Amino acid sequence: MSPQKTAAVKAASETQLIARAQQGDEGAFAALFEAHKRRVYSLCLRMTGNTAEAEDLTQEVFLQLFRKISTFRGESAFSTWLHRLAINVVLMHLRKKGLQQVSLDEVDTSQDEPVKRDYGDEDRRLMGSIDRISLSRAIAELPPGYRTVFVLHDIEGYEHNEIAEIMNCSVGNSKSQLHKARMKLREGLRQDRNKAASGASVPAEQAVDER
Amino acid sequence: MKTAACLWFDAELGAYLEGENKPFVASHAQECPFCQVVLADLEQLCSLARQLAPAEPSPAVWANLHAVLEEEGMFRRKLGAWDWFRQLQFPQHPAPIGALICLMVLGSLLTLPPVSLERRGTPESASPSKAAVVSLASPSENSALALAIRDMETSYRAGAKFLTPEIKATYEKGLNSLDASIRECTDSLQQQPDNTLAHEYLLTAYTRKAEVLASALEYEGR
Repeated sequence: MSPQKTAAVKAASETQLIARAQQGDEGAFAALFEAHKRRVYSLCLRMTGNTAEAEDLTQEVFLQLFRKISTFRGESAFSTWLHRLAINVVLMHLRKKGLQQVSLDEVDTSQDEPVKRDYGDEDRRLMGSIDRISLSRAIAELPPGYRTVFVLHDIEGYEHNEIAEIMNCSVGNSKSQLHKARMKLREGLRQDRNKAASGASVPAEQAVDER
Repeated sequence: MKTAACLWFDAELGAYLEGENKPFVASHAQECPFCQVVLADLEQLCSLARQLAPAEPSPAVWANLHAVLEEEGMFRRKLGAWDWFRQLQFPQHPAPIGALICLMVLGSLLTLPPVSLERRGTPESASPSKAAVVSLASPSENSALALAIRDMETSYRAGAKFLTPEIKATYEKGLNSLDASIRECTDSLQQQPDNTLAHEYLLTAYTRKAEVLASALEYEGR
């Protein structure tokens, strides 16, 4: 079966599942949960950095989904609708925690330190020295505003105009915050790598020429 | 030492990584080993981010979710083959239920022994009532019972497209089974018009078909 036909069949199957879920079919509820739980949970986990919070939020997302499923009319893809719901739930949670998540425009960047650029020998590239685990850890340590835009864009694949709509900011602001987030991540990963190298009793590195 | 070119590289790097056409970024990276490192690091970072596998929540998430949904009554019990009968809500849908009751009363009346004085005591007296019953339940297109069932089936077919495939399949299966019983009984009665057992089975099949159609009509009306 061609990829297009496979996608069409999959979409038709999901349409039937949604129709059955709208009629209260327990099996359809379970199937929809199974199909989308990983992506929703991953989003919650990347945004909160905490597994317990992520599970609570995942549960809340699907609760709201199933309570509202009768209102789904198919104007957009179901996964898009679900994902927007998930983002709103997470952002609401982060706002309640008092974190600056409402709008990237509101984030005060005037006191931000200039993003450092460590220079040294060419062999100081990160290439080959980071893995998914260290990247996940570094993402969790990002400031909330940077973390949100990085997760939405580079991991979840949202475009800047979609992020701007979700975060109530401008497209330019979204792009700017993303670039800063990436540089911040790079800085964090290099520091982790340097710490790990020091812990392994490697000869001390030469002073980095900070430009 | 940071040069003006490096500063320009810094300014355009974000847009370059977004896929915008910034040829200076690539060309400067080839000349400046330090900026080359930065570019390579960020490209690797973006690539790895896209590969981050979705995480798996624990089974407790679905267990808790299921419990809450069940408590809120979100699940509707899957209808068994004959569960529709329990779904009938008499006060709300008088028309199909009334038709069903009329059919059942009619069937009951037709099975009563004859009470006419003219017919009492003669062996032949049973034949006309039997004939009446048989003709009523006959497969003739003009029999009242068959006409009533046909009307209900026409209404059902008109609204069947609004049923979900699974629900419709269940109703169709039940109706097909009853139609097969009706055909079998009418064939028997054509060969043996006095076959009271075939008559009883035929009447039962018609009654049950009326009940199924009434339930389907009530379901379509939701």
